Amino acid sequence: MSHEGLSKMTKIEVVAAGSLGTAVRDVFKAAGASGFTGVSGVSGLGHGGYHQGRLLFNEGASLELLITVVDDEKVGPLVAGLRALFDESPGVMFVSDVYVSRPEHFR
Amino acid sequence: MSAAVAERSAALARVSSDVSLAARFLAPAWPIETFIAVNPLGGLEDLPFGQAVERAGDLLGARGTMGEPFFRAEHARGRITDGDLRSALALRGLADLEAQEVELGALRLTALELLLHELRNGREVPAPARRLHTVAELCAPDVAAAVDSQASKWCAAYLDVGQAGWTMPGREQGFYDAWAALARHDRSLPRAARSMLAALPPGPEEAVLEALEELGIARGQEREYLQAHLARLPGWAAHVRWRGEHLHDFGLVDYLAMRLLYERALLAAAGALAAAPAGAPAAGEPSREPSIGERVLELVQGLGVSGEATLEQLTAAGRVLELMPPRERALVWLEAYEGHYRDGLVEQLSRPAAAVPRGRPDAQLVCCIDARSEGLRRHLESVGSYETLGFAGFFAVAIRYRDLAGGASSALCPVLLEPANEIRETPRQGSEEAAARALAGRAALAGAEEGFHASKDEMLAPFALAEASGWLAAPLAAGKTLTPGGFGALRGRLLRRAVPAAPTVLGVEQAFSFEERALFAEVALTMMGLTSGFAPLVVLCGHGSTTENNPYEAALDCGACGGNRGAPNARVAAAILNGADVRTHLAGRGIEIPPDTWFVAAEHDTATDTVSIIEDESFDSHRGEQIERLRADLGEAGRRLAAERCGQLPSAPASPPAEEAARHVRRRSSDWSEVFPEWGLAGNAAFIVAPRSVTAGLDLGRRAFLHSYDAEVDPDGAALETILTAPLVVAQWINCQYYFSAVDPVVFGAGAKTIHNVVAGVGVLAGHNGDLQLGLPWQSLADGRSLVHEPMRLLALVQAPLQRIETLIARNTILQHLFGNGWVALAARERDGERWLRYTTRGFEPWQGQEEGR
Repeated sequence: MSHEGLSKMTKIEVVAAGSLGTAVRDVFKAAGASGFTGVSGVSGLGHGGYHQGRLLFNEGASLELLITVVDDEKVGPLVAGLRALFDESPGVMFVSDVYVSRPEHFR
Repeated sequence: MSAAVAERSAALARVSSDVSLAARFLAPAWPIETFIAVNPLGGLEDLPFGQAVERAGDLLGARGTMGEPFFRAEHARGRITDGDLRSALALRGLADLEAQEVELGALRLTALELLLHELRNGREVPAPARRLHTVAELCAPDVAAAVDSQASKWCAAYLDVGQAGWTMPGREQGFYDAWAALARHDRSLPRAARSMLAALPPGPEEAVLEALEELGIARGQEREYLQAHLARLPGWAAHVRWRGEHLHDFGLVDYLAMRLLYERALLAAAGALAAAPAGAPAAGEPSREPSIGERVLELVQGLGVSGEATLEQLTAAGRVLELMPPRERALVWLEAYEGHYRDGLVEQLSRPAAAVPRGRPDAQLVCCIDARSEGLRRHLESVGSYETLGFAGFFAVAIRYRDLAGGASSALCPVLLEPANEIRETPRQGSEEAAARALAGRAALAGAEEGFHASKDEMLAPFALAEASGWLAAPLAAGKTLTPGGFGALRGRLLRRAVPAAPTVLGVEQAFSFEERALFAEVALTMMGLTSGFAPLVVLCGHGSTTENNPYEAALDCGACGGNRGAPNARVAAAILNGADVRTHLAGRGIEIPPDTWFVAAEHDTATDTVSIIEDESFDSHRGEQIERLRADLGEAGRRLAAERCGQLPSAPASPPAEEAARHVRRRSSDWSEVFPEWGLAGNAAFIVAPRSVTAGLDLGRRAFLHSYDAEVDPDGAALETILTAPLVVAQWINCQYYFSAVDPVVFGAGAKTIHNVVAGVGVLAGHNGDLQLGLPWQSLADGRSLVHEPMRLLALVQAPLQRIETLIARNTILQHLFGNGWVALAARERDGERWLRYTTRGFEPWQGQEEGR
């Protein structure tokens, strides 16, 4: 796969309870992430069983997917902050390489 | 990036996580103008109730249950019986003790009786005490008090929303920067402390990190230390948590940075920083409980057999007592206290369902699930051909609402939701002039009020104000005090003259797409089980409460509308359900609303028990006769309800005729000195999800949230899932707010109303400084020293297929926490006539205690 003209960065995806959303976004901010994308009401099956997706009248009790993209030097602090959060709270984090066309938007 | 810089960056990111985790035990506290009931221990709901209250005891020094003296007094007066205690012990798996005999000297009794004896007579368990302390608390208590005082002062200054004459300079930069720029100039601080505050770290995370290091907090103990600080003023901390999550300009990292920097600077100025114990925080010892030996000794003394029992007998008795540690006794008492009410309610609901009246009712009244609606529904059903239903008072339309006057909009929906649709009230076509007169009247009144209050804040104006208005103000004050009823009526007349009613529209079709309106209509009707049998009139009845001089007014309004009055939601929902396009869609989905059915909005004033039918754009003037009959019957139902409520309101006539009762509650509502305008949701204890036939004809004492539900029209359980994950959650928050405000009024409640000062427009202080008060005032819970609210956890009763309920619990963590950890008890049955079953972690089991005499 060719990535000509694209810049390599790191994508961090977090799935956590909606009530933990603010804490995750605060870690993003503290580690210097310039933004994020949020998807509320995600469902899934994990080691804790099936989790219901969108609840009609309760946004805090459903799961939320939060995505941010950062350059390499921010990955360590961001992961350190999230790991500390998940020491005591349920949630999962995926870290992967990603290629973007306008890296300045993520710095 | 160097390794050191990377490590520092990681540490800063961890500060953010540490603060979030440290603050989990604090539920966010909403501003008082939209007083939202929350479970103050909501962050601990993933723990079993007993463990959560123990943790709250360690962190806050707060009580999580009523004390044993309270329960023993309730036992003495028969509110808790020995049967209730036996049932509670049986639910803990100790029923077998009934068959186990214990001998103590010549005395022979069962093991269960031993436990009962200790429950009734055991030495009281010491009150909980905070175990985590700040460095300043340990080595310089004056500094700890000064840190609290500074924190309280700057929170009030920053959060002020127009109450103070001057705004905090630099406020637009956010809290940390604004405070950092000013703190160094505070002449109330020692010079050395000011010097330290003149060179602060650039951001709050750096500040927290730096201060923790200088205070000598060991690595790994940061979270506990932050909790020690949060627990010093939990009211302010809880409100700042809300602020950080909703407005983002002032969060707990900023708040803790301020506190820690003050602590560091003031300790250094006092020369106490060097003396701080290394590796703080210090954890105090847990309160000491009596040893098993002491308990056995007290037991034999209490039974009058000391000196007679053998060592083997004492050892056997000790083994029995070990089954119930002293700290669990209050929980056993609580379970017995709850069991007494719950068994009675289950017994009430076990009688055959009320016969469904034949024929089409004259009208259907859909009320909020609020426990106060139960009384209105019961009385209305008794005066005519009416059917009533219960549904969350926002009627499934989550809106942001801006009234005719414009200004800031309000979120009229449960706080679990963020409204996506904005509704603006505008003049109806042809009513622009009337609307302009109404707006001019409002503006004039607001201007006069602002001018009056502003004059009081000026240097010389108060003297002129007293001269100019004293002749009028004094008689007005006398009138408000001596004849509040007459004064209220006079003011109402003047207000109507100054601000004449103007017909308005809400522009529902502009605010909602057809798809949204169709979805809301179908969801609302399915959730309440109203998919057929429509009456000619269906009244959607929101609610609000009219009181005077009451900072807690929002606590009496509709919780499902975000602590606001519910009329706008009722108007929007009625407009949607009257829409021809929506009805066509619903017919295609199997919900046929007859052409002669008309939805109309209304609002129940819970302070006066009057119901106003709202004549808005969808009002059908051809229904005059039907409406007049309905108005008359609602009036009669309201008067009967007022008479019923008078029996419980302090200083109200005991058994007044209905007319007198109506006058009395109107007077209370407009009395500016009345601290008990109504009892609100005091007494709430149950949440019933079932068709009205299950509860019709029963007097539930306005203690139950009633949500209509018909499992037959909800085959996939989607409606039930919504009910259990939203209205039930709101009800549980309300229940927990009342519960914890009653069991620990100092930490979780708001103290006495009579010494409240509204601060910064966000809450109240008891007196002139200190912590923001978290929960409900004492006068919302008690009459003098006697509790009116019985502090019990919520019992949810659901009539639905058991398999469906279990599936919903299995896929919703929130329900696993509520039902599995004992925050809410659950009883269920499939259909009418069957026995109620108790939900346990082992599955559904027969509800014991229904047949036991008490």
